[in-house]
Amino acid sequence: MGAVDLKKVILRLAILGVVLAAIQPAFGLPLFARKYGLRCSDCHEAWPKLNNFGQTFKDNGYQLMTGRDAPIYQQAAYFPIMFRTGIMWHRESDNRTPTDITPGNPSAGQVESTVTTSSFAISGLDIWSAGTLYKNISFAIEPDIDNNGKVHLSTYWVRFDNLLNSSWLNAKVGLFELDNLISEDRELFSSNQGGFYQSYFFTPIGDRTSFGLGSHQLGVELAGHSSNSYTRYSIALLNSNNGSITSTSNSYDGYADVTQGFEVPKLGLQKVGAFAYVGKRPTFFKTSGGAPIDGTGTGNRSFSRTGVYGLWYLGKFDLSTFYLHGADNVFLGNGVQANQPSALPVGAAGPTWNAGFAELHYTWNPQLILLSKFETVQMSRVANPTIRKNQGDMRVWTVGYRWYPIMSPRAGIAWFQEYARNLTTGTAPLTGRDDTSSSFVMGFDFDF
Amino acid sequence: MKCFSKTSLIRKTSRIAPVFLAIFVRSLGFGQAAAGQTPAAEAVAGQAPGESKIGDLTGHAGSGKALYRRYCISCHGVHGDGRGESAPHLDPKPRDFTKATFKCRSTPSGSLPTDTDLFETITRGIYNSNMPPWRPLTRQQRADLIAFVKTFSARFQEEKPGAPISIPPEPATSAESVQRGAQLFQDMNCWSCHGKEGRWNGPSAATLTDSKNNPIQPFDFTTGTHVKCGEGGSAMFRDLMTGLDGTPMPSFSDALKPDQAWDLVHFIEALPAADKKGIVLTKAEPKAE
Amino acid sequence: MRKQFVSILFSGILVGAVALSALVAVRSVRAGSPAPASAGELKGTVKVKGTVPKPMHIDMSQDPKCGGGGTTEEVLADGGGNLANVVVYVSAGLPADAKYDPPKDPVVLEQKGCTYRPHVVALRTNQELKVLNSDSTTHNIHPSPNNNRELNQSQPPGVPFTTTFAREEISIPVKCNIHPWMRSYFAVFKHPFFAVTGKDGTFDIGNLPAGSYTITAWQEKLGTSVQKITIGDSETKTLDFVFKAE
Repeated sequence: MGAVDLKKVILRLAILGVVLAAIQPAFGLPLFARKYGLRCSDCHEAWPKLNNFGQTFKDNGYQLMTGRDAPIYQQAAYFPIMFRTGIMWHRESDNRTPTDITPGNPSAGQVESTVTTSSFAISGLDIWSAGTLYKNISFAIEPDIDNNGKVHLSTYWVRFDNLLNSSWLNAKVGLFELDNLISEDRELFSSNQGGFYQSYFFTPIGDRTSFGLGSHQLGVELAGHSSNSYTRYSIALLNSNNGSITSTSNSYDGYADVTQGFEVPKLGLQKVGAFAYVGKRPTFFKTSGGAPIDGTGTGNRSFSRTGVYGLWYLGKFDLSTFYLHGADNVFLGNGVQANQPSALPVGAAGPTWNAGFAELHYTWNPQLILLSKFETVQMSRVANPTIRKNQGDMRVWTVGYRWYPIMSPRAGIAWFQEYARNLTTGTAPLTGRDDTSSSFVMGFDFDF
Repeated sequence: MKCFSKTSLIRKTSRIAPVFLAIFVRSLGFGQAAAGQTPAAEAVAGQAPGESKIGDLTGHAGSGKALYRRYCISCHGVHGDGRGESAPHLDPKPRDFTKATFKCRSTPSGSLPTDTDLFETITRGIYNSNMPPWRPLTRQQRADLIAFVKTFSARFQEEKPGAPISIPPEPATSAESVQRGAQLFQDMNCWSCHGKEGRWNGPSAATLTDSKNNPIQPFDFTTGTHVKCGEGGSAMFRDLMTGLDGTPMPSFSDALKPDQAWDLVHFIEALPAADKKGIVLTKAEPKAE
Repeated sequence: MRKQFVSILFSGILVGAVALSALVAVRSVRAGSPAPASAGELKGTVKVKGTVPKPMHIDMSQDPKCGGGGTTEEVLADGGGNLANVVVYVSAGLPADAKYDPPKDPVVLEQKGCTYRPHVVALRTNQELKVLNSDSTTHNIHPSPNNNRELNQSQPPGVPFTTTFAREEISIPVKCNIHPWMRSYFAVFKHPFFAVTGKDGTFDIGNLPAGSYTITAWQEKLGTSVQKITIGDSETKTLDFVFKAE
């Protein structure tokens, strides 16, 4: 029905690509359970999500502070390494996929149709090594092997903990996840539509800012916490290339986060916090032979992500609430070089949007957790008048559960089922109508 | 026989016998506190079974049970007997709650710890062991866990905890105090386990076992003052007076007066620096008499 | 006539109890509660057959204040095979709800020459145990019970220490951590029908009401030996035990 809007198709594929690349697998770490003899449930509400004991352990630089954390106290045969992989069956469906009317004959035209696929799948293999190199020096290295057998380094850092003997000074350098209390890495959901936080990765239509709040970034972080991690802060200085280790940048982004916890009698521990990420991205490069020279990005324009969050424990329920406000510069939002302001469309503006989610869990017992999430992204100002006011807005509902039949200090197995439904406004490639996608997945998650 | 029947004689003797017993019992009580208390059938005052009280905080065993399953079971075991799945790989072994013998207390040797003692142990953890500090749990969670842990032993129903010892403020240290402490270290035979320089190389050290017959090491004083049950002079004073039940470390409540105990603590506090400088603080070996 | 007899009997028992508490080293303990006039008596000898390992020399040079060495006392038998330090007691046959008068006198354990005297102590639940330190070196008294509370008290020379045990337990190993060769055992009973054999291997349990009983003899290394007897009113029965040396 009419010419394919190539831009929109590319955009959709690009979003999908970003999303798939950004799905950070989630895991609990038997390599710590093995070291200390504690079960997964000691540190994890339900792995991979951390409870406050586990969060404090992590903040301490993977140390329990018993005086026995340094490697010399371990049996010589202990080596901090673990694997995580998933085996599942999943079903994906989308109701606005452009399809040739006559299969094999593109000139006959296209129509949007519902495409449903289902299959068994594996999630690739994460290999994780983390722990202490010495008292108050911790590290983490994670090479991930994707389904195609390709290895990519997702985590790679060293941290100097408890500087000047204070839990308020810890310096981490390398490639790491930002210190979000609601961590993308440790999400409990696994499906293609529901298995990541849209709020963390959303980029408006036409916008070429490459950034994900849940993507691992390269830089240095100074963080601190009170002895029970009720009060936490972190500030970071990061490359302006969204953590890419194969390209460089010549500007830096900044991130800050602060959390405060407090106890409510009868309900439990509550935490609230706020964060801000302010960065720059180049709008054009110096070139050599027509190709951009890496690291020479110029015409930098800024973008920001700011917001607040809460982690609420209400007896056996726990609720995570998150709000983000995103704002990208007009040049970034329209994909125009900063030295060509006349190339901006009439009425161009820096896009802004609001996103957030509410995620409710019910911990039946340490080995069974029921999950639900509602997430929404809503544009508040689009980049230019050719874009509809709410184009790209989305609402995602996800429900599921994880059951851990075996939980020991050595290995863990989870069985999970999950269904997610994503309704995105006005992004159907041919008709510009609303697009509904859904995922169903069930399978095993192994951690050993 | 009305005026002097057998039953009235028995009634009379049954009144005299407890008086005799009471006199003997009263003749205890030298030193700081008498360790052997007669267990009373009375429940702990103001506390229902399955509850713990720490200041204004009340813990409930019912809530503690789910927390125990999440946090404690892998080491301390389903039955609270210290035989969790991880226990074979741990040294020192996790506490057997069914025996109600605890290292870190403020009460005399042989008596139960107070709820506050248990709360502080769980909060602080036990240094140089696999028992972590559970400070990241809320105060209510910790109180609930204490209430549940107490249900593993009937002793908590049958006995009251001992009277907490008093810890007077630490006097300033001095060379004389350290000297007196050195003499006490000799006379009290501390060196036979802890070694002349406090480096746990005493002649009896290799023979030491805990109450489960597992080998156990005495504390190495040259590492500092961070002992299992706390840090600093007051922690060591308290350990001296209460002993660490379940281990070879005895209570010196009958043996030392408070100022003597502080002298000994001052000596022990001087050991790390002396060790660094290669100075031996103890006097010469005791001679045979 | 009868009330006179009862009051004489009672005074006699009081005097006997006071005299008992003045003894320092107790080799053989008599049950001490007033009994009905028809009580029987059980006596006998405990012997060991076979080659008993010779007591070994204990090196006490670690602490010169102990005053020289000693010998191990794990299996203490004389030339005729008479076994000392065996606890003989009624292990079954007493009515479950029977109540016995509480003992009035303490039992005394002395630390002398860095050994425990006596090597085995039998006492009643809630009976005072008085521990003396007659040496010029500091000991610590450390019983490790299974069914009673564990305690550990340092004892400088001359400072006595008293404790009780609330529950029956056979037996409680006792050690001194400072002098690791020191070893003693406590046997705690709810009832008064027990005895510890002396050097001659003999025991004597008096005031036993008529009935059928199981009698157990316990030795720290050789284990237990069990026999059954029936005692009539005022009857004196002899029961011998023989242990086999390893």
